[in-house]
Amino acid sequence: MGYRVGIDVGGTFTDFALYDDVAGRLSIGKVLTTPQDPSIAVLQGLDELTQKIGIAAGDLTDAIHATTIATNTVITRSGPKTALLTTEGFRDVLIIARQKRWELYDNSIDKPVPVVPRQYIWEVPERMLHDGTIRRKLNETAVRSAARAMIKAGIKAVAICFLHSYANPAHERRAAEIVRKTSPELLVTISSEVSPIYREYERASTTTLNAYLMPAVSAYVGRIEAGLASRDFKRKLFIMQSNGGVAIPEIVARFPIRIIESGPAAGVLTAARYAESAGTSNIMSFDMGGTTAKLCLIENGRPALTGSFEVDMVRLKKNSGLPINIPAIDLVEIGAGGGSIARVDLGAIAVGPDSAGSDPGPICYGRGGTEPTVTDADLLLGYLNADYFLGGRMRLDAAAARRGIERQVAEPLKMDTIAAAWGMHEVVTAQMAQAARVVSVGKGKDPRHFAFIPFGGAGPVHGARLARMLGCPRIVFPHGAGVESAIGLLMAEPAFDLARTRITALGRDTLVEINEAFKDLEAQGRAQLSACGIGADGRIRRSADMRFAGQGYEINVSLPDGPYRAGDVDRLSRAFFDAYAATYGDRAFDRKDAVEIVHFRITASSPVPAFKLEGAAADGSDGAHALKGSRRVYFPETNGFTDCPVYDRYRLRAGDSFPGPAVVEERESTVVILPDSRARVDRDGNIVVDLAG
Amino acid sequence: MTTLDPVTFSVLWGGLLSAASEMGVTLSRTAYSAAVREGLDYSTALFDADGLMIAQGDYSPGHLGSMAFTVRKVLEIYPRETMKPGDAILLNDSGIGSGHLPDFFMISPIHFDNALIGFAVNCAHHVDVGGSGAGSQVIQGIQDNYQEGIRFLPTRCYAGGEPIADIFRVIAANVRQPEKVIGDLRAQVNANTTGARRMVELALVHGLAALQGAMAEILARSEVQMRAAISRIPAGVYSFEDCLDDVGPGTEPVVAKVTVTVADGTITVDWAGSGPQREAGLNSYLHYTYAYTIAAVKSVTLPTAPQNDGVIRTIQIKAPEGSFFNPRRPAACGGRATISHRIYEVVLGALAQAVPDRVMAANSHFFNPNLGGVDPRTGKQFVCYELIIGGIGGRPGKDGEEALASPWNAANIPIEIQESSNPILVERFGFIADSGGPGRQRGGCGLRKDMRVLADRVDFYNLGDRALFAPYGLFDGLPGTKAATLLDPGAKGQRRLHSKGSYRLKRDQVISWRTAGAGGYGDPLERPVALVERDVKSGFVTIPRARTDYGVVINPKTLAVDGTRTDALRLKRRKARSKPRQRETARA
Repeated sequence: MGYRVGIDVGGTFTDFALYDDVAGRLSIGKVLTTPQDPSIAVLQGLDELTQKIGIAAGDLTDAIHATTIATNTVITRSGPKTALLTTEGFRDVLIIARQKRWELYDNSIDKPVPVVPRQYIWEVPERMLHDGTIRRKLNETAVRSAARAMIKAGIKAVAICFLHSYANPAHERRAAEIVRKTSPELLVTISSEVSPIYREYERASTTTLNAYLMPAVSAYVGRIEAGLASRDFKRKLFIMQSNGGVAIPEIVARFPIRIIESGPAAGVLTAARYAESAGTSNIMSFDMGGTTAKLCLIENGRPALTGSFEVDMVRLKKNSGLPINIPAIDLVEIGAGGGSIARVDLGAIAVGPDSAGSDPGPICYGRGGTEPTVTDADLLLGYLNADYFLGGRMRLDAAAARRGIERQVAEPLKMDTIAAAWGMHEVVTAQMAQAARVVSVGKGKDPRHFAFIPFGGAGPVHGARLARMLGCPRIVFPHGAGVESAIGLLMAEPAFDLARTRITALGRDTLVEINEAFKDLEAQGRAQLSACGIGADGRIRRSADMRFAGQGYEINVSLPDGPYRAGDVDRLSRAFFDAYAATYGDRAFDRKDAVEIVHFRITASSPVPAFKLEGAAADGSDGAHALKGSRRVYFPETNGFTDCPVYDRYRLRAGDSFPGPAVVEERESTVVILPDSRARVDRDGNIVVDLAG
Repeated sequence: MTTLDPVTFSVLWGGLLSAASEMGVTLSRTAYSAAVREGLDYSTALFDADGLMIAQGDYSPGHLGSMAFTVRKVLEIYPRETMKPGDAILLNDSGIGSGHLPDFFMISPIHFDNALIGFAVNCAHHVDVGGSGAGSQVIQGIQDNYQEGIRFLPTRCYAGGEPIADIFRVIAANVRQPEKVIGDLRAQVNANTTGARRMVELALVHGLAALQGAMAEILARSEVQMRAAISRIPAGVYSFEDCLDDVGPGTEPVVAKVTVTVADGTITVDWAGSGPQREAGLNSYLHYTYAYTIAAVKSVTLPTAPQNDGVIRTIQIKAPEGSFFNPRRPAACGGRATISHRIYEVVLGALAQAVPDRVMAANSHFFNPNLGGVDPRTGKQFVCYELIIGGIGGRPGKDGEEALASPWNAANIPIEIQESSNPILVERFGFIADSGGPGRQRGGCGLRKDMRVLADRVDFYNLGDRALFAPYGLFDGLPGTKAATLLDPGAKGQRRLHSKGSYRLKRDQVISWRTAGAGGYGDPLERPVALVERDVKSGFVTIPRARTDYGVVINPKTLAVDGTRTDALRLKRRKARSKPRQRETARA
């Protein structure tokens, strides 16, 4: 019991949330991010916050950190020289990739560039078969000379990825031993530890990215640890991973690829935390920033996971990025943010994925932006206040925004300027609705059973409209806009997702193998938990990626604890049939067909101490005390502009309740409450809106 | 025209496009064969109630370009009013479909309030449809289409949401891997269910009138945009000719000749002057000729705009009946994929004269062989479908990308998947140095894949090209190297196999495919020396060839460019050829 701090590094700000779990009190802090070395802002901001509340860093019991260091290292290609050691004959697998085009007819496209160039790929004689038998012994001399050559070439980290190593890791392990002995200064990682999943290109991509990130991430984490240690912090530092679980620095240094979606994962966890306000643990999280919007479905309090995703994509086009086969929170990300640019294409309004970002930014920023963006439209429609953007720190130029939209959208379409602005607002919202349907309806989940949690700078502006399009019954606009992700970190638990490919028919005669596979994974999971100081509290959940024998893709199915007995086989196949029917429909298959398990998976995790804020007493007013005025705001429900009350979020009190249309201003965002809905402020300061029928 | 507002229109168009692409996700995720789930050899689209293609998922141009014409022909056999909710029509007829029997189309009517509002359509390449050899793409010794497998004219296979078991029993009885074929057909039904559900949702949310209005509008606007793009191509008559090596061992080349006429905002592509149809499993039925002709024209007009009937209808395509590009039934066609690149590249070669800054040199080409036999591990028939795809040609301003599918859009099959499903061992997979056509922008390298067979008697049906006619370069760029297929490379009994031959292999024999290198673009002597140095360091170009092909002298110790000697050598080369210089590339 004591003080826990969540630290979230974002593109512009580094946010802090410090929770006193004896007093149940939350303090927040914010400093500018230091892009050259983000650890500077982390330590500086921590000092400011601890001083402010009069404690020492040594009083902290936990520090939980979300970082963009991994993603940035890949996107800017700022990692060191990295090598790949692979099976003889297969040097080019990483460069050949899967060869699929990401634009069908455009001959000017390029493939994603791997982080290891061809001249840093070494081959060694060895060969495993798909069933794990050795066809050709590992040539250890060749490994040694490759390790020496790597040093000569100035290599800092090496990925070892041999064919079929998921079936038998012996050669990879031995090669790693030899490399470490021959060239101890090299950081080494092997594919059978990083991602023992079949499909050689995807595994090589994942493993080389892991190697590429090892030097930068371990140095970064080391700096934070050292900084904390010099402040007498004696407890554990935890880092947020892409799967929404946290890990200790030792594990992150070995598997930095696991933190590539650290920041977005923290955001989703934040949304999960509003279950109580939402009155349901089924939540759709919606994080809309300047460049993209990210959506995620959280069912029963747990975000959906995916087994693979891409990094460094072009215009978010599938197959345009480098694939990573690591479990991550299943976010759908689309190029729709406040900075997304609108243009007219074939008489239709198209928005994004090109973005003006924050520099030059939307036209209304007055920093040289010339193309109309979503934020420009939002300003024209009255959703944003030109004088209170970022709490008044930046004045917006509404006249320039109007001219831009008029000239570039309204005139080509022969539309009224306001209608054009509304068109941009609605088109971008509809695009997000399509993405939301992919993660919900597309997976057999009905959005009408999910509460909607919008955040990020533009999230609360578009949230209600999007929720209405989707039919979500309730929206929660969280309190503490700019620092939600840091708060979410306080809720994170250590969690490790481990997997192994072993294609196994589901049946009575394979139960021994199935039990064995889970037992191995569980032992590894327990070991990683105990490295984090977790013993009996640790919990292991099983799942398997299953398919009908002969198919090539699997669906993930949660399975009961084992060991399994003969009588359990029907239960296991039923779990698969149910999941398959939920995804593809119950007529899409034949229950008589054989089922197989392809990837065995476990999640090892440990619950965190409960997080509870002391809520304020409800005094049940109409919010009039928080009214700061009114302005003309556009809603199609009111047939255009209407006088709309504007509230100051910081003066609203728990229990306040008022009808839409309304606008609630806070420093980092603006909450738009639609007509025909009613907002109320709950005990924690969140604004809860129930949408009519 | 309707009074559809731009916003609703935008929303509906986006919704239709994402529905078409979501159909593809469902198809591949529930498919059984490696061709579909790994090779991604399938396509999906949504059509309006008149059978006009409205939105396609970005999968295979060969299917997509054919599909627009297929659905119209299906409607002649099954008029709209005979289509009931829950029906599905299948077909694989080469003339009505996409030009060979392995491609099965599945067409499902979409109903809303008991009215037909459109069709969900997809096409998938099946791993085997019977016929004379495993994989149903045999070329050698095939006289007509009847030897190539089971054939369906449009046939109802689902009624009222229930499969017609008789049809599926007939199919299962006539193919080598019935469980994969039946499984993939089910995946095709799943894909259409997804597409239909999405279109109905759009009608529910926005109203049927808005949806129908938007579909009409999509076609109208796409057509306008495409016509505008065509009118920006300089008017003129542009011809180009290249050859397909042959149609099997001991046969003559096939002349592929095209004349593209651009005038008054119209474009006509005429295949007159091309060779006659041949007695081999390789002819290009008209829909297939359409498909890759359209893809080539689209790549220089509206490369990133969605394709639909409005785009397609602007391109006039002609091919003399009885020619290789418009054969009469029952011409054989199993291996017709081989011709896809030639159709595309010949059209592009003609267009290069009109829009040199929007084309690329010829691609590496590919191999799409099939191996079949009995898997000793299971005692069952196996069909091993392979795809070895090289790089693309040099482009204005940048090199041809290495190892990238074009113009079709397939993926390679992972070695780990291929080895777990079939009795084969891949021994090598990589680039061939010095194979990319030299140019200011170098062509992509050829690829080599070596595969050992691990069963006693394996039938091997090769399918490749460019072993005789190298991929052309453009604007003084040079051709890439030619392709080859070797048996037991490096061993005593090494021999060359034909790119379209059929062979019986013994256990432990090794096939080595080497695709051609893609053509270069621009004069190789103008290639920046830094890029030549990079190519040498990466091993794509060797030191001697840097010298002979590019006039760049590389120090073998440091792998750095010797600037002084390079300048001197390049100067000497330019002088030597400045006299009676031949500016010819390919046979423009």
